[in-house]
Amino acid sequence: MGKEMLTGNGAAAWGVRMAEVDYIPAYPITPQTEIIETIAKWISDGAMDASFVTMDSEHSMVTAAGAASATGVRTFTATSSQGLLYGFEMIYTVAGWRVPLVMVNVSRGLSSPITLGPDHNDILAIRDSGFLQIHCETCQEVFDSILMAYKLAEDERVLLPVIVNMDGFYLSFTREPVEIPDVETVRSFLPEYQPEHAFFKPAQPMAQGVAVLGGEFYSYFKYQMHLASKNALEVYKEVCGDFEQKFGRKYRTIEEYMLEDAEYVLVMTNSFSTLGKAAVKRARENGLKAGLLRLRVLRPFPDPDIKNALKGKRAVAVIDQNISIGKGGIIYSEMAGCLYNEINRPLLLSFIGGLGGKNISPEEFELIFDKMIKAEDTGIVEAPHLLYTENEWKEMAGLKEIAGKG
Amino acid sequence: MLRLRFHGRGGQGAKVASRVLGTAAFLDGYNVQDFPLYGAEKRGAPITAFTRISRENIMERGVISDPDIVIVIDETLLSDPKAMPLSGLKKGGVVFVNTPQSPLESKERYSITDHVITLDLTKIGLDMIGKPVLSSLAAAVASRIAGIGEDALRDALEKELSGIISDRGILEKNTEAALYCYDAVVPVQMKTTESIREGENVINIPFETARVSSPAINATGNTPLRRTGNWRVFRPVWDYDLCTRCMTCVARCPEGCIQVNEDGYPYADYENCKGCLICARECPAKAINDVREMHSQSEEGEL
Amino acid sequence: MDTIPIRSIREIPPEENMLSGTPACAGCGGLLTLRHCLKALGEKIVIVNAASCFTLLSIYPFTPFKNSWLYTAMACAPAGAQGVRDALDILIKKGKLDPEEDLKVVVLTGDGSAYDMGLSSTSGAIYRNLDFYYICYDNEAYGNTGFQQSGATPFASRTATSPPGGARPTGAQLQKKDLFEIWNSHRPPYLATISPAYPVDLVNKFRKAEQYKGPKLFISHSSCPPGWGFDPSHSVSLAKLAVETGIWPLKESVHGKVEHTFVPKKFKPVEDYLKEQERFAHLFKPVRQEDILKSIQETVNEYWRKHKLLS
Ligand SMILES: Cc1ncc(C[n+]2csc(CCOP(=O)(O)OP(=O)(O)O)c2C)c(N)n1
Ligand code: SF4
Ligand code: SF4
Ligand code: SF4
Ligand SMILES: [Mg+2]
Repeated sequence: MGKEMLTGNGAAAWGVRMAEVDYIPAYPITPQTEIIETIAKWISDGAMDASFVTMDSEHSMVTAAGAASATGVRTFTATSSQGLLYGFEMIYTVAGWRVPLVMVNVSRGLSSPITLGPDHNDILAIRDSGFLQIHCETCQEVFDSILMAYKLAEDERVLLPVIVNMDGFYLSFTREPVEIPDVETVRSFLPEYQPEHAFFKPAQPMAQGVAVLGGEFYSYFKYQMHLASKNALEVYKEVCGDFEQKFGRKYRTIEEYMLEDAEYVLVMTNSFSTLGKAAVKRARENGLKAGLLRLRVLRPFPDPDIKNALKGKRAVAVIDQNISIGKGGIIYSEMAGCLYNEINRPLLLSFIGGLGGKNISPEEFELIFDKMIKAEDTGIVEAPHLLYTENEWKEMAGLKEIAGKG
Repeated sequence: MLRLRFHGRGGQGAKVASRVLGTAAFLDGYNVQDFPLYGAEKRGAPITAFTRISRENIMERGVISDPDIVIVIDETLLSDPKAMPLSGLKKGGVVFVNTPQSPLESKERYSITDHVITLDLTKIGLDMIGKPVLSSLAAAVASRIAGIGEDALRDALEKELSGIISDRGILEKNTEAALYCYDAVVPVQMKTTESIREGENVINIPFETARVSSPAINATGNTPLRRTGNWRVFRPVWDYDLCTRCMTCVARCPEGCIQVNEDGYPYADYENCKGCLICARECPAKAINDVREMHSQSEEGEL
Repeated sequence: MDTIPIRSIREIPPEENMLSGTPACAGCGGLLTLRHCLKALGEKIVIVNAASCFTLLSIYPFTPFKNSWLYTAMACAPAGAQGVRDALDILIKKGKLDPEEDLKVVVLTGDGSAYDMGLSSTSGAIYRNLDFYYICYDNEAYGNTGFQQSGATPFASRTATSPPGGARPTGAQLQKKDLFEIWNSHRPPYLATISPAYPVDLVNKFRKAEQYKGPKLFISHSSCPPGWGFDPSHSVSLAKLAVETGIWPLKESVHGKVEHTFVPKKFKPVEDYLKEQERFAHLFKPVRQEDILKSIQETVNEYWRKHKLLS
């Protein structure tokens, strides 16, 4: 089909269409709504053969999606921020059913205060649920990741749901060229879903998601989810290999940008990684051996790949587009846990940036590099630092004044 | 430290018993911990409760796997392969069994080598309180075995029961029955050795596919394996001379465990009949009698 | 399913689709309701359950059912039913499931879900005209958590969170929600109240419901020995008393049009029903709370007068 100018949301919808999904329970929320609207229109026009139902809440939506998946059809749903939290209970529940549901989350900051711009507190809130997480930087990646997600989720060695994350606005509403492959190639990559373990049939009744009482039994089921998630690292590699062969695009759990000989490394996720890459390029032009590591798969956490990629680096700065109130960056803690036992581990610095979609300016990136160099000189790593500029502070002061806080 | 473990069925009062004992020991000046463990929270399901009593600080939490004293409120649990009330009992420990049998009979029946004390709490409850509520009675027995004073027990009963029993008269009946049990038990000098539990092997569990490792059940209709028949206090017994084969009892049984024989007469599956006695009450011909269950033949086949 | 009405308990289908040995309490009225519902519905069903006492019917590795079961969560069983129903339709349409092998989708919840937390998801499912059955066993409180007040708790009932005390001797201060009317305002094709004490009426209602596509909803007044405080053997007689006193009207609604399926020739006084239960004991002892007893009787009378079945 060739390339089309598509938003991230449009790319997601196309991913769903090309994956020949059967069932989409939906509920609107900005900035995700365009995905379900696009799908609804295709179904209405007859361009897509699937069932679509608008539910009464995200809680119901995730339930219906999980239940349909448990009945044996390929299912998709999407949400964002408040919606993801509203459905939170069912995210854990559905993951425990071990069904290969694929979801998209369009990241958006969480209330209060209610906002629209993106950050990742929403998606990271469900970090521990059992859903695998793939985080995207480009619209193409959104499309590709949905196809890969189904293949990963439906693999017998995994059988866990997958959530594909993109930033609100900066991807969801941003158009860029996206390559849409032909349906036959997609089918050869992602064959029809043939459930082996999850379905309701009169001939083979089964009781799904039943109560399990007793810690020794409960531990078994939970830990099996963990083992399946760990398996997904291997399976994902196979999926990536297959994907590259069919479509020519290469993915890994992490993306290494100018990393090989880098000494100072930024760690980022999602669409702002593009800004980070630009900053790395500028730093290189100024003679600094900078690089960037983008985390693409966050669950399962790709510890071996990260350890390997950061071997021998001098300093690493994690830019968290999220904040764990009272602790700092969420991914910083995960990185620290990953690297702690490494011999020659790099210094690890923590920055909070881009909350609610706040821009990260070149100067802020420069500050990060400066701090890395300084930390290396002194051996002292400062507390988490919020990236914020003087102009932003002044603007905020103006707002406060109007709000009568003078 | 004394570690006591109570075994009963939901609704019988194991939890309250462990609390009453806990409070009594507390009032007697000990350091105490008590804690119930219940799963399904339904009447009839096996329940365990624990009380730790010590002069020193208690540095333990959770279940007691090596008790000094085991209080078996429901005798049927002794032959329940899941409940296993005797597991981990220390050498030289004491087992109390609520049963009409003598200690010797119980020792033989359940192959118990440790000291056994018995008393028919259910009968005492029925006679003195009018109901098979056993919490205060079991607490009294446990208090006596654990060496807790009578005054402390009396105060503990007041403190723990006044919140859950509003009727003063019933409360007093409970106390009276409890003190009766307290006196009926002959105290023993206990010399338990340290725990005899076997060491555990700590392992790594292997991955299993979701076909096996999702919380889904592929078997059907297998709850009869649970044999809820041992929940019964009373057993419905049919008198076919009076029975008119009207099928009322069959329709009224919540468990669906009344079947009809070739001649059209109903009979119960005693393996799982819970003894609710709805059938007896609803039978228009009064053809079903209730008989106090002794569970003395609770072994397979003898029902 | 047979659609001809039955006339006596002898005609109730003999097959047991739910086996004994469940963890439900001895004498559970809800379980008796469910047993008859499952006889009426047959084996080809999938039950979608919300958190409640009956979640514990299937505890790994046991299930009493011959049919499939899906436990969702407390608020969303009807949404789970939506997913299952839609998926089955998709499988049939794609030729992956023989229409003969189709399943009826049956939601099973307590009153806590039905009257309170799950109201929105139920409303959604009825609104979408989902083809499903809903069985609510109403034991008039949150039973599984130890009998706390729910939207279904009747006025003056003791619950764990509405204990009558010196300052508030009444017990529950609020009136029970009228779920029948709430559901009926959606104009579902079929809606009925049922009782474990009236299995013939129950079975016939399921048979009648069978002909309608869309939501088929049942609310069962379900006696609960530990929660209500009575001897398990009284479970059926008490459920019957609720009907005979007029507290629990047996009725049905077809596309919104309500008919009573059983009207007692002479209503028994509500006291006959109340005094049998510990949850109402404070109305009689230590002092008789006459005004409360009167007001309960009056509420019942008013209902039947409104329906012109009492003068
Ligand atoms: C979201 C959520 N909140 C609370 C609970 C705890 N909970 C489990 S069962 C239950 C009571 C349900 O009451 P009801 O629907 O009337 O069923 P019953 O227990 O009486 O059978 C509650 C509150 C839960 N499981 N989920
Ligand atoms: S209810 Fe009584 S008379 Fe009727 S069948 Fe049962 S035992 Fe016989
Ligand atoms: S006592 Fe209860 S469970 Fe047993 S047969 Fe009678 S009605 Fe059924
Ligand atoms: S608490 Fe009530 S509703 Fe729940 S299982 Fe027991 S009797 Fe049934
Ligand atoms: Mg309830």
